Amino acid sequence: MIRAPLVKALGALGSPTHQMASRAVRTSAMVAQTPAKAPEKIEVFVDDIPVQVVPGTTVLQAAAQIGVEIPRFCYHERLAVAGNCRMCLVEVEKSPKPVAACAMPVMKGWRIKTNSDLTRKAREGVMEFLLMNHPLDCPICDQGGECDLQDQAMAFGSDRSRFTDINYTGKRAVEDKDIGPLVKTIMTRCIHCTRCVRFASEIAGVDDLGTTGRGNDMQIGTYVEKLFLTELSGNVIDLCPVGALTNKPYSFVARPWEIRKVSSIDVLDAVGSNIVVSTRTNEVLRILPRENEDVNEEWLADKSRFACDGLKRQRLVAPMVRMPNGELQAVEWEGALIAVAKAIKAAGGQIAGISGQLADLEAQVALKDLLNRLGSEVVATEQGFIAGGTDNRANYLLNSTIAGLEEADAVLLVGTNPRYEAPLVNTRLRKAYVHNELQIASIGPKIDLSYDHENLGADAALVKDVCSGAHAFSKVLEGAKKPAIIIGADLLERADGAAIHATVAEYCKKLKKPNWNPFNVLQTNAAQVGALDVGYKAGAQTAVKAQPKVLFLLNADAGKVTREQLPKDCFVVYIGSHGDNGASIADAVLPGAAYTEKQGIYVNTEGRPQQTLPGVSPPGMAREDWKILRALSEVVGKPLPYDNLDELRNRLEDVAPHLTRLGQLEPAGDAGAAGTISKSIGGGAIDIKLKELRDYFMTDAISRASPTMAKCISAVNKQQRENEAKQSVAI
Amino acid sequence: MAKFLGINRLTKLFQMVREAGGLKQAYLKLYRNDDLKIGTLVGIDKYGNKYFENPYYFYGRNRWIEFAPHVNMDYDGSMIPAEWYGWMHYKTDLPPIRDGCRPKYKWIADHSENLSGTKEAYYPYSTTPNKVEAWEPKAKKQ
Amino acid sequence: MAGREAVKRAVQQVRPILSVDREEARKRALNLYKAWYRQIPYIVMDYDIPMTVEQCRDKLREEFVKHRNVTDIRVIDMLVIKGQMELKESVEIWKQKGHIMRYWKESQDPKPTDFLSKFIQGVN
Repeated sequence: MIRAPLVKALGALGSPTHQMASRAVRTSAMVAQTPAKAPEKIEVFVDDIPVQVVPGTTVLQAAAQIGVEIPRFCYHERLAVAGNCRMCLVEVEKSPKPVAACAMPVMKGWRIKTNSDLTRKAREGVMEFLLMNHPLDCPICDQGGECDLQDQAMAFGSDRSRFTDINYTGKRAVEDKDIGPLVKTIMTRCIHCTRCVRFASEIAGVDDLGTTGRGNDMQIGTYVEKLFLTELSGNVIDLCPVGALTNKPYSFVARPWEIRKVSSIDVLDAVGSNIVVSTRTNEVLRILPRENEDVNEEWLADKSRFACDGLKRQRLVAPMVRMPNGELQAVEWEGALIAVAKAIKAAGGQIAGISGQLADLEAQVALKDLLNRLGSEVVATEQGFIAGGTDNRANYLLNSTIAGLEEADAVLLVGTNPRYEAPLVNTRLRKAYVHNELQIASIGPKIDLSYDHENLGADAALVKDVCSGAHAFSKVLEGAKKPAIIIGADLLERADGAAIHATVAEYCKKLKKPNWNPFNVLQTNAAQVGALDVGYKAGAQTAVKAQPKVLFLLNADAGKVTREQLPKDCFVVYIGSHGDNGASIADAVLPGAAYTEKQGIYVNTEGRPQQTLPGVSPPGMAREDWKILRALSEVVGKPLPYDNLDELRNRLEDVAPHLTRLGQLEPAGDAGAAGTISKSIGGGAIDIKLKELRDYFMTDAISRASPTMAKCISAVNKQQRENEAKQSVAI
Repeated sequence: MAKFLGINRLTKLFQMVREAGGLKQAYLKLYRNDDLKIGTLVGIDKYGNKYFENPYYFYGRNRWIEFAPHVNMDYDGSMIPAEWYGWMHYKTDLPPIRDGCRPKYKWIADHSENLSGTKEAYYPYSTTPNKVEAWEPKAKKQ
Repeated sequence: MAGREAVKRAVQQVRPILSVDREEARKRALNLYKAWYRQIPYIVMDYDIPMTVEQCRDKLREEFVKHRNVTDIRVIDMLVIKGQMELKESVEIWKQKGHIMRYWKESQDPKPTDFLSKFIQGVN
């Protein structure tokens, strides 16, 4: 576990006073650095162009300020500087040797020459050494076409080779490593930039990767054979500048120039990571992260990246109606819509709707409008929330914002495991832990968060202790500049969830700072915030209690509604993309589009509406979800007043104007629901659903259908069995 | 003289008609085979096809087959079984009944004709999996 | 200088394609109609289309009436030119039977316009 060096040195002493001291050192340094030294910019010259930079800027950053790109392999903006690839060597006047631009801070009056003869010669030399031990297998390499080494060899390498040794000792060859079902390794291609090693230890927080040997014998690996399994392992594929670490499910599938790229949003967790969907011939091939500083920086969690093969399996491709013999049978759209319409007519207003994990906002609005027209008000989300708490938006948002959590200095996690519920929120917390000396405590079962944290215990009564100020951690929270309390969304489904929520909300009013809202709920479902925003009630039981004659399940696959809870003659209509829990209990299945096949708005856990864009068309007879509801409304005889997406978005703007301002965040006020404080927090341990890595991979209909995710689970299980076997041998 | 008057041709025609078994039969044979020839019956295979030969005709037309009557007009060249194929195509002059060195094994499969254009015709099917695998509803209503 | 500009603008505004006034355009259109009308029996015969002369003349009228609301002389001229091209192609047998039959659009399904039929056919 690495923290920043100074902080680590002081923090290791352990006592609170030392920690306070270290904080004082850090903050005073920061205070001194930012406002006071700002005018004292120093002037350097990059290719004779003067640049004003703050002291401590590296040569590479100074060059970047005027748009001069210095080639690099090991340097990465979000990782620590390593300075070992030597590709960024540039000439500095009056310096005897070329300097490594990524690691060298500029001095006043330096004249940096990024394109001089010496610089070019240095680059060519480095490139020659790199290529000496790099295989010429670009034609069969998956990185081909998007390879940094290829590009830079073309741009900065020499135009001829002096490599003649092939007949004598040959090139360096390294054995490939098995580091899991997601990342394929071809270690001979490795150029030892150590980006993956630094990512694993700095961002992901697992010190699994490392280097062994020196010089020509250096190898990247896991020391002993084990799997590099974290929830963020896919990012090393993007980081690797060559084809040493590549995407295993995507291997030998496509070339980058054959691919069409669509900028979209991930919906498999509530973070709303920005993604690029790569498609070819109407097929989703892979998913890459897209940079968005406010949401996912440039990382992507493994489920979001690798579960895309689940989009091709277990799909609903034709409408289905349950026949009298109890079998679901594929029918034409007319037949399905008429069957549903008949049931609706017979129900006479006793209709309910449940919106699930992956429903887009448009479909949710259309479902609510349809049900209201049919005389029903019962629309609910599948995941529960506290009763009556959905009026105030702040009650269910991550109010500190994802990017804001980076600045937090004291965090209490209540019944949540951000590492697996929202991996990219966890990287923010880890970043704060490394760079901001964040103190973290958790109430709930003991979990591994990839950073040190204090587990206060699992008892729910602890929430009350902390919030009354009696607990030791209350002092930390109250003394913090930017404290935050994060409640897991699943926790609020408990009977005393409302009491926990109210207690925390009350305490957060005390902790509140200007421009800082410490109250956070970490949602797990991408559709939850949007649904609550447009007026859905929380909890599937709301719908079940109404004992409807017709029940709409909009992507509701969590299995919270069973046949036994519903009246015998209840007609269940499932609208969604995958055959899962929802479709198997349905009387009519109407195939919808998955998130890569429709333009839909999803609101992430901090309340940021973002939209997906269609990369492929829905398979078979599947249609976009809101269109199904619109068509159904016409068959029933109560047509909804929108025929296209723009009109539907206008309707959405009437319902919730903030949800059509895509990408923008609307700050919410104070959390807190009226009249719920009277309930007291019951005892009992707080539990978390996603405790371990194996729980992480399959959480929704798409990832449950994904063979890659299944492989991940079996790999984790296998690793665990092996570890247990080793331990039993050791005993 | 007779040759000059074409009488020999007439005699041939009479001979053919007689061989065929009367005018009606000759007409039917002509209708079915587009041809009316006389020749010696070389053999009959087990499917009922009759093989004829007459060296009077030019090479290539001197061996012919009359398909079994039950196939009617639905005859096809591929109905000739392998053992007669060689004789029909002049690979050998020995018809199977007179050729003693034909191998006879138990495992030799029965002849089958080309089924193209019929219901039993072979249709190749794709072995590439569908891009999207559809969900199969298996469980009955719970 | 200014005068020349004004003339240029005026000329630009009304630069005719063929006709200078409405009357002339009307005459051109009528002439085209007559030419087609007289040609139709030969077209029916030459192309051996399964239509009677009367049906063809109804179709001819329909094609002209489709543009009855066009008032811009230049647009009328352009339509007349296109009509003449069509006629020429028909007269010279540059067309084939199918091209003539295409006026009736028998093999074309009309595109759905309302939401429900668009939805069921899966077109946007």
